[in-house]
Amino acid sequence: MDRRQVLKSLSAMTVLGMTPEANLLAKSLSNTTKYSDLTQVQQNFASALANEPALLGFTDVKSDFKPQELTIEGRWPKELTGAFYRNGPAKHERGGQRYKHLFEGDGMLQEFTMADGKVRHRGRFIQTPKFTQEHQAGKFLYSGPDSRLENSLGVASPNDINVANTNIIPVSEKLWALWEAGSPALVNKKSLDFEGYEVIGGTQSYGQSLKGVPFSAHPKIEANGDIWNFGLNPTGHIVLYHLGANGKVKKVKVIATQYQGAMLHDFLITDKNLLIILPSIKSKRSHKNDGFFSSIEFSKQLPMQVLLINKEDFSITKQYELPAGFAFHYGNAWEDKDGTVHFDASLYPDLSVLTALSDVMQGHDLQGATDAQNVLVTLHKNGSHSMLNTMVNSEFPRVFSQVTGLKNQTLFHVSNETGKMWSDRVSRFDLSSQSYQHYHFGDEYLVEEHIPIKGTGKQNYLLGTALNVPTKRTCLNVFNADALTDGPMARAWLPYHIPLGFHGNFVKG
Amino acid sequence: MKKRTFNLVALAMVMGNLHSFASEAKDIEFQIQGINSNKGKLYVQLFKGQEGYKNGQAVNASIVNAQKGEAKIMFSVIEAGEYAIRFFHDENDNGKLETNMFGMPTEGYGYSNSAKPNFGPATYQQIKFNVPTGAQKVVNKTQVIY
Repeated sequence: MDRRQVLKSLSAMTVLGMTPEANLLAKSLSNTTKYSDLTQVQQNFASALANEPALLGFTDVKSDFKPQELTIEGRWPKELTGAFYRNGPAKHERGGQRYKHLFEGDGMLQEFTMADGKVRHRGRFIQTPKFTQEHQAGKFLYSGPDSRLENSLGVASPNDINVANTNIIPVSEKLWALWEAGSPALVNKKSLDFEGYEVIGGTQSYGQSLKGVPFSAHPKIEANGDIWNFGLNPTGHIVLYHLGANGKVKKVKVIATQYQGAMLHDFLITDKNLLIILPSIKSKRSHKNDGFFSSIEFSKQLPMQVLLINKEDFSITKQYELPAGFAFHYGNAWEDKDGTVHFDASLYPDLSVLTALSDVMQGHDLQGATDAQNVLVTLHKNGSHSMLNTMVNSEFPRVFSQVTGLKNQTLFHVSNETGKMWSDRVSRFDLSSQSYQHYHFGDEYLVEEHIPIKGTGKQNYLLGTALNVPTKRTCLNVFNADALTDGPMARAWLPYHIPLGFHGNFVKG
Repeated sequence: MKKRTFNLVALAMVMGNLHSFASEAKDIEFQIQGINSNKGKLYVQLFKGQEGYKNGQAVNASIVNAQKGEAKIMFSVIEAGEYAIRFFHDENDNGKLETNMFGMPTEGYGYSNSAKPNFGPATYQQIKFNVPTGAQKVVNKTQVIY
């Protein structure tokens, strides 16, 4: 190699001087307050917990939960055989310090296996390199998005602080634990051991080009097993993924948007299109003393934007503007033959929920936050839209997996009737009759996401966890999905509580 | 600017060679640890001063075959003062640093002082080191970031 070639090659190293991604990470994350009061956050929470037992769901988990058989109340359906996996933040504290935001804690998998009418449980932290290093050190080593350490280890890539804490899906022989800013964390189904980060397309012609690129925690899996997803780059560039059921890439494309919200949590598919819905939020990156989440503001002047993207070639075919709003989650979308698109959103009129999920880490309740409501949206071919607000509080909306992207008759979600700390009931919305069924657990329960599962014949189930505050125990509930008002068919009780988590999925045995 | 960079580096390399046997030459021994394979090559650049680093104007450069474990890269310099080093491990031996679609390196890389990026690239302040007047040899150690 002659000297000219050498120098040409070395010019590639300018990337080490300033990478686009690193620059953006720096912009969005280094503005975070130099945080020396994580100890105070821990103390505030401990004090509040002494007076507010419902904060139990946000307490730190010290160690894995050993496998054990649960106590069944009622009769667990024998045909419901398989594993129900849930994921959520559980490691909130180390060394007397506590994270500032609920989204920052290291993820823990909860596995409920069921067979012959019996239910077993085990819980295991996802042993990412970050988790393992901090566990060994007995303290936080890395700054998080909102929680800054004075002497943080360097963060060279998002996966250095990947907490894998949001969702869990089965892909081929593995479980993928998902966190929206980084790569899927691979988890062994048998041992629940962490086995590295998936390099999407890594064994294909894509090589390392997708290594470390964000893969959101809300992939949509079609009935044929194909996996669709997106990943947001803080520049507003969005990666669109189409993977086979085995996780291999079928196609990938990056689209450029003007989105400056920095956070994009969920999306939707129909049989023909993807719906990327950009909420009315903007990251105020000029403020030097704010964290990643606390730098995001709601803007009433900013319409929610819906990008309709063709599944065949990922081209943007249409854009819609909706009134200002914000949503973490959507249940489902479908479209009519004439191209009219329908979807539901657990829609917030502001962003107070994001602040509340920080406040709760200091021991405040969530009463100050505005609830989301189940809103049905129709996008007409002529570019107009119509919206129907059911006026029913709604979060964690789910549909039967078989109808993902197709017309759904029912929508299930949790909602908040009287609770001040989390949801307290499950709800079933019939889209044809536009009527609701609810089951209110009672004020003493903190109700988590429930997922609908098709059984044999006409029997359908709704499966999910709830934390009973007075007894400090978590139960797994199974309902007849078409008769929620009857209450749970059965409950499987743990002898203790597990932390409030986010999302889960059922894998039939 | 590219041509100027080339000339400057070429000049520096020639000068380095000319002076390598001179008594006033100082050696910088750059120890790279944690090389994960024998594949490909290590591309290493030496900069003098903040301006040189900021402008990407290396005063010397070296390419060596990668060997799993540790490598020692020797530079001879004439002047005392502040220096900085950056490098990458060209694992697939195609002569360039591979990045993902958003520009993040996907091959090993690193800096002098074993500096690590933190929500952004390592700064000059993190990677600079001093070659004192009168010093015969300066050793700087680092770890590859994969």
